[in-house]
Amino acid sequence: MDLIHPMDKLEVAEALRQATADRKRLLVMGGRTHVDKGEPCEVDAELWTTQLDGLVAYEPAEMIAVVEAGMRVGELDRILWDGGQEWPCDAPPRATVGGVIAAAATSPRRLRVGPIRDTVIEMEVVTGDGRLVRSGARTVKSVTGYDLHKLMTGSLGTLGVIVQVALKVRPRPRSRRSVRVAGGLEVGRRLLDAVPGPTAVLAMPEVVELRLEGWPEETERQVEATDRVAPVTVVTEEGAFPFERPWEASAVIAEAAVPPSRLAEFLTRPFHDLPGPHLGSWGALLGVGIAWVGLSSSDGDLEALRTRAHALGGIAPVVKGPGGLGNDVPPGLDVHRRLKASFDPAGVLAPGRFWGGI
Amino acid sequence: MADVDAARRELEEALGTTEVLSDPLALTLYARDAAMVEGGCALVAFPHTVEDVVACMQVAARHALPVVPRGSGTGLAGGATPIGDALVVVTSKMDRILEVRPEDRLAWVEPGVLNLDLAKAVAPLGFTYAPDPSSQQTCSIGGNVNTNAGGPHCLAYGVTSSHVLAVDVVLPDGTVERFGSEAPEAPGYDLRGILIGSEGTLGIVVGACVRLTPEPPAVRTMLLDFSAVKDCAATVSSIIAGGVVPAAVEMMDHGIIVAAESFAHAGYPTTAAAVLLVEVDGLPEAVEAQSRAVENAARDHGVRTIRVAADDAERALLWKGRKSAFGAVAQIAPHYHLHDCVVPRSKLVDVLAGVYEIAGRHDIIVTNVFHAGDGNLHPLLSFDRRIPGTLERVLSASEQIVRLCVNNGGSLSGEHGIGLEKRDFMPLMFSEVDLGAQACVRAAFDPEGRMNPHKVLPAGARCGDFAMARGTDAAQAAQSIPEGSWI
Repeated sequence: MDLIHPMDKLEVAEALRQATADRKRLLVMGGRTHVDKGEPCEVDAELWTTQLDGLVAYEPAEMIAVVEAGMRVGELDRILWDGGQEWPCDAPPRATVGGVIAAAATSPRRLRVGPIRDTVIEMEVVTGDGRLVRSGARTVKSVTGYDLHKLMTGSLGTLGVIVQVALKVRPRPRSRRSVRVAGGLEVGRRLLDAVPGPTAVLAMPEVVELRLEGWPEETERQVEATDRVAPVTVVTEEGAFPFERPWEASAVIAEAAVPPSRLAEFLTRPFHDLPGPHLGSWGALLGVGIAWVGLSSSDGDLEALRTRAHALGGIAPVVKGPGGLGNDVPPGLDVHRRLKASFDPAGVLAPGRFWGGI
Repeated sequence: MADVDAARRELEEALGTTEVLSDPLALTLYARDAAMVEGGCALVAFPHTVEDVVACMQVAARHALPVVPRGSGTGLAGGATPIGDALVVVTSKMDRILEVRPEDRLAWVEPGVLNLDLAKAVAPLGFTYAPDPSSQQTCSIGGNVNTNAGGPHCLAYGVTSSHVLAVDVVLPDGTVERFGSEAPEAPGYDLRGILIGSEGTLGIVVGACVRLTPEPPAVRTMLLDFSAVKDCAATVSSIIAGGVVPAAVEMMDHGIIVAAESFAHAGYPTTAAAVLLVEVDGLPEAVEAQSRAVENAARDHGVRTIRVAADDAERALLWKGRKSAFGAVAQIAPHYHLHDCVVPRSKLVDVLAGVYEIAGRHDIIVTNVFHAGDGNLHPLLSFDRRIPGTLERVLSASEQIVRLCVNNGGSLSGEHGIGLEKRDFMPLMFSEVDLGAQACVRAAFDPEGRMNPHKVLPAGARCGDFAMARGTDAAQAAQSIPEGSWI
């Protein structure tokens, strides 16, 4: 396996022109934290973006940070910390910014901070045939043509190599508390209704963890509201959220996405006459509709989980271990294929890694 | 040449004779939207159902007619202005709210539902639809989706793209697809994200799944009054730099204050050089804390008075002045040209000074009312186009304002879109390669180049490899605008 380590975006462009000329298939690699997401694909080389790790511009008053895509999330966190701000992706520190965006990774705080796609306002990407393309603007609002950066976010490196992004960042809340109570999905549901403006309500089989952020007086009141529903057993200031992720001990983790109101049905109730999957530990983001589910293997249980997700209008791609994305066919398959043909005409970027065999 | 008569007969058969217009009056009425540009069209259709829209697309495909989707026609960039033998598909009769589902914080709506009607419909359930363009009484959700519309409250809540979970779309070949999902993630590329803000060039939106936002428990609206524009603008940067993101920060300059006051009687300080209308929301404790921060920032910049709305009635009155400002300027002159561009917040002071200077040099009255928190300027040029030479001065000033914004690191449009009005400015922001890639996206949805041609991309932009593979000569030819289409 060849390893390519371009030093700047021009070298990325050169590498891709060469790959297209040689029909050499590439897997784009950042921090290796989201590499399991995607269908298995055969490649001839890995292109690592980790040398592209520079800070391009950061002006806290603009709430915008421009970075090269190979910058580690931990490094960006440190830079933004000094400006009193954050890019709320909550990915592992060694993950790269570009990797988090290409995988459209979900933050446990998504209820408040939104999906990662809403934070990307400008992007430079190198297409499969080596064109350096920019879209968007370094302003918080912009309607200027087609937002290619939307297309690239979550594309798993199958349309281009993200080389630089401008990110909308947010002020770091003055008070950040993580709270734990006993209970499961039902307690979590009551908390979602009763606690005003929580940043996250994460339900697990036996406990619920809340993330509360804002002004100190505000989170104080949120803690009180939590305690009225279920006695608070642990409160930390500045602590990590979640306290732990028990599902990460499993060999396989599926990241299911279903309409938020269907989470309980998805995770607990008997479901038609389908065989129920044997779930390991799981964590569900209430009000969002994401559930991380641990499985011991990617065999029958994953299949059953996906059947169930599909019936509820959702999906269950694997984010750790084998198992791929699933068999759901993306809507507008012809449009997808034409996009792939335009942006990666020789099909050198992780062929087959994406949904629909793309 | 397209067989317009045959197309009309087929449309009448599918939609009913009352829902297809081709008389000269209708064709004139639908030859433009709210922009200054005037075009022309061959047919106007009013679908009631998704099937009707599919029929429109199929008929248009059979007769090679360009298709121009239109919502309420409030667009200010000419995005819904048809050119040539176009079929205008008006979605205003698809105006049902299909489903409101509080447990999923979403609603399904047809494209013709008006923005404010949606907000009113979900209010009794304790929700709102966050994007609130100033035209919200008349603009439709379908139009909002197509322009990725904003509004005062997008500062804290984000623009339309953050509030649309899924769109149902009829593609140019007549197929119906749902992009996005009620679930937080969907299989495939984010075609939902591409559709939003695509100005009707990729397909016709026939349904939208919108996100509902819980009404904040507490709201405070403040009017801050300054004796200098630069102090007012500098206060905006100070608020944000202090780590506070209010729900809305709107700025109005003297000309607007006077016009809006004589119309809305909101008690605006007519001696002020500029005012800020600031709204903070959240838990009562957060509202208190944010208000203090805003007031401190304003005092640091010499605010004269701070008026806090005492109740909902006063709050509504303060907003009424702001939201009716564009109507109120009719007192200044019979015509206006409303601009839309974005600059980094820290450049507001300089760019505003530049805008006044450009207007002065062109002898045109300019007033400013805009989303200051987002850096989204709306210079409003008032004039009387019947006076010879005026229009030329307006267009020249407009171009200079656009260049000023882009040169200061800004963007051509924050919420109105590119349409016809700004398509030839696109090369100011994007290289030929960038525009070629954008053309590829368009061609992937619309290989024949019939969806809302001439809009968004300048004539030279084309999709390289893809064009060679598919032969988009027709699309290329369609990009040259016929003589006389402009004002």
